[in-house]
Amino acid sequence: MSKPEFVYVIYIASTPEKVFEALTDTEASRRYWHGNFVESDWKVGSPFALRLVRHEKDDITGEVLEYDPPRRLSYSFRAQDGLDGGKASRVTFELEPQRDQVRLTMIHDQFEPGSDVLEKVSQGWPLVLSSLKSYVECGKVLHAPWYEDQPLVPGKTAGATR
Amino acid sequence: MSRPEFVYVTYIETTPEKLWEALTSSEFTRRYWFNTEVRSDWKVGSPIALVMDGKTTDVGEILEADRPRRLSYTFKHVLDEELKKEPASKVVVTIEPHGKVAKLTLTHEGFVEGGKMLDGISKGWPAIIASLKSLLESGTALAIPLAALGIEGIE
Repeated sequence: MSKPEFVYVIYIASTPEKVFEALTDTEASRRYWHGNFVESDWKVGSPFALRLVRHEKDDITGEVLEYDPPRRLSYSFRAQDGLDGGKASRVTFELEPQRDQVRLTMIHDQFEPGSDVLEKVSQGWPLVLSSLKSYVECGKVLHAPWYEDQPLVPGKTAGATR
Repeated sequence: MSRPEFVYVTYIETTPEKLWEALTSSEFTRRYWFNTEVRSDWKVGSPIALVMDGKTTDVGEILEADRPRRLSYTFKHVLDEELKKEPASKVVVTIEPHGKVAKLTLTHEGFVEGGKMLDGISKGWPAIIASLKSLLESGTALAIPLAALGIEGIE
């Protein structure tokens, strides 16, 4: 049978450069990721973090596995709450130009069988990537009241918390 | 194990009513759905036909039509000789309001193992739904060339 993975394809009216920038820029990610944001120097082997501004202590962490702008980006992804025994999965973005658009393919794989993380990210990615598309195309972001109404952790929104 | 199916979720800044209209009005679908008309009176038991550039590509029957929440219909391809041989599948669309945003979930199920239909619709729906989202949010649909999707049997 098929391996456990989550794949999502979305078309965005933009350039690969702009979409790649949105995926890797802290300030841009803050806009469409509901206040959460990515942090890394994006060198292969460097640490990667997705700062979760509604969680007291923990963030999603990993390492940069591939950085090939504006075509491919990959990082490992260790869930913030110790799910899957703290084992990292892998996130890969592939960007292909299609006339005046970009086909963005996101693959989240290398899960353990029966992974709880897979279940959770399968819910989360469609919203984040839908919001990314709105942000890149229209400069607007999608609001997620059921998520955003959770309180922010004071001091965690500032960034550069390492 | 799970049967082969396709599930796609997206979030669109629009109302369920506008999204329903966009999914069921040919005037609207022609703009974002590869110039496809969706011909039906949307009553349970009524026929539905997808007509692209004047050619009928798929036909079915309305199973559920609970405006603006849930729509389902059977889906049988009738154009390509290979794809025609596969049995009818089923499309289910659900729309849920979340504040200013509508969550759209499209499930397409009932495929045979090893068939080509699942592969084709898995390439088609993300492009159609992305274009629909752009049209509702920015007023401009995406001009995705159908050939770029690389669907066997559809050029």
